[in-house]
Amino acid sequence: MATTTAPLDTRSPAKLKTVRIEIKRQASPDAEPRWEKFDLPLRTGMNAISAMMEIAANPVTADGRETTPIAYDANCLEEVCGSCAMRINGKARMACSALIDKVQENGVVRLEPLSKMPVVRDLSVDRSVLFENLKRVKAWVPLDGSYDLGSGPRITPQQQEEAYPLSRCISCTICMEVCPQFNEETGFVGAATIAQAKLFNEHPTGRVLKEERLHALMGDGGIQECGYAQNCVNACPKMLPLTKAISDVSRDVMIQAVKDVFTR
Amino acid sequence: MATIVQQPVSGPSSGARKGTRGRGVQPLRAGQGHSFLLRRLHSLTGIVPIGAFLIEHLVSNFEALKGPAAYAAQVKWLNALPLVRVLEWAFIFLPLLYHSGYGMYIWLRGRSNVIYYPWAGNWLYTAQRWSGGIALAYIIQHVWRQRFAGVSLPEHPGAAFHKVQVELSHPWMLAVYAIAMVATCYHFAYGVWLFCAKWGITPGDRARRSFGWVCGVAGVLLCAVGLASMYAFVEPKYRNAPSDLTPAQITEGTQATAPLGQAHTRD
Repeated sequence: MATTTAPLDTRSPAKLKTVRIEIKRQASPDAEPRWEKFDLPLRTGMNAISAMMEIAANPVTADGRETTPIAYDANCLEEVCGSCAMRINGKARMACSALIDKVQENGVVRLEPLSKMPVVRDLSVDRSVLFENLKRVKAWVPLDGSYDLGSGPRITPQQQEEAYPLSRCISCTICMEVCPQFNEETGFVGAATIAQAKLFNEHPTGRVLKEERLHALMGDGGIQECGYAQNCVNACPKMLPLTKAISDVSRDVMIQAVKDVFTR
Repeated sequence: MATIVQQPVSGPSSGARKGTRGRGVQPLRAGQGHSFLLRRLHSLTGIVPIGAFLIEHLVSNFEALKGPAAYAAQVKWLNALPLVRVLEWAFIFLPLLYHSGYGMYIWLRGRSNVIYYPWAGNWLYTAQRWSGGIALAYIIQHVWRQRFAGVSLPEHPGAAFHKVQVELSHPWMLAVYAIAMVATCYHFAYGVWLFCAKWGITPGDRARRSFGWVCGVAGVLLCAVGLASMYAFVEPKYRNAPSDLTPAQITEGTQATAPLGQAHTRD
């Protein structure tokens, strides 16, 4: 950042000098969660991750108690790796792009782990359900063969235009976190997996598994559980056309189901 | 191309589901179960026959604005349809039972988060559940009080106007009807929009937005038709409608004189 004396916050009446970070911590998967509060000097461009880096450098709570650094997942710090999704002031988003002066409410920023994934420790959660779901819809292009399969089919620019937005998915699971239908009752597969099913269904080589993907998505917890609240598309940090993908794959699944009645 | 062998789905079986509570959402049960069929059937029954019946019902009620005789004629005509009791059960009661039952099941399994994410689509999602619940509570009392309790209208179509008028003469019942009318029309209009979004008829953002307007306008019009016909029962013009009309009165209007002692007979 080039500016050195940028105003930190002009919205709150008193100019903020410090910010209070409240973090929901949990020592282990089965431990009771507890809240810890930290007061940090507010720096320009500070984000939720850099705030926790500062806490790690001096892990002392607001009431002066020594504590441990916060555990969280983060990697790229530029919103492309998908690791640092968490709830910030109640809303799921990427922590690395959550600028403290933008997300603070009355000088407070609350950090909580995603509510629908099992907590590993503090803000680090186990998001393997997405990987499992991607495997179950075979979200890949099958390339393996016992001989040289030669070069792949040509992909037209028009196909690329359709595919590229879907390929931007960073597996952050925010679309699943914000979905009212994604919960332990429904076991809904979530928007990300459906979007990837569409991406690979439209790939000239990936298409060979289309029928299997559609059959998988007919299963319990499949595409039918979508309630079209559209939170996924509103919350997606990479702006994937998720509702369009759900609609398109829904139609394909429906057509496949009707076909099955007559031909299977 | 290598043959693809369907891998047996590993992971928690349905029996172990209770034990996984709090351990996160279980993965997709690829290709297992019947919820796809049941959910799509729920979606479809909302349009046909239930939605179609709703339109028929509100349009029929609109005849009430022409007075007790015209209303009775409409009731008489509907009840003269061939196999009318079979039609009633097959296309109204049973689909309603299924749609409402499965709808409550859907509602109970969703976790509304509109407090955290107060976005338009999320509000509509929540409202769809509440309006469905309101409509169900209303329909139970409406079917009981108007179809099964009191004067049986299939046998006495002439009594239809009076029966509804007595019901709507209670201000609180009038309010119940008005609230239920708005809730039901919303539920249907948004349901049509949802149907088109979920069945892939309107996948594009622009298509969905414009179809949203179409459904909104259609819903408001349908609701206006419903509320207007409610007005017919409370307006001064038809106050104190006769408790039953003779077949002659139904065909010729309330001015026709009733043959003495024949008010309840049919020809």
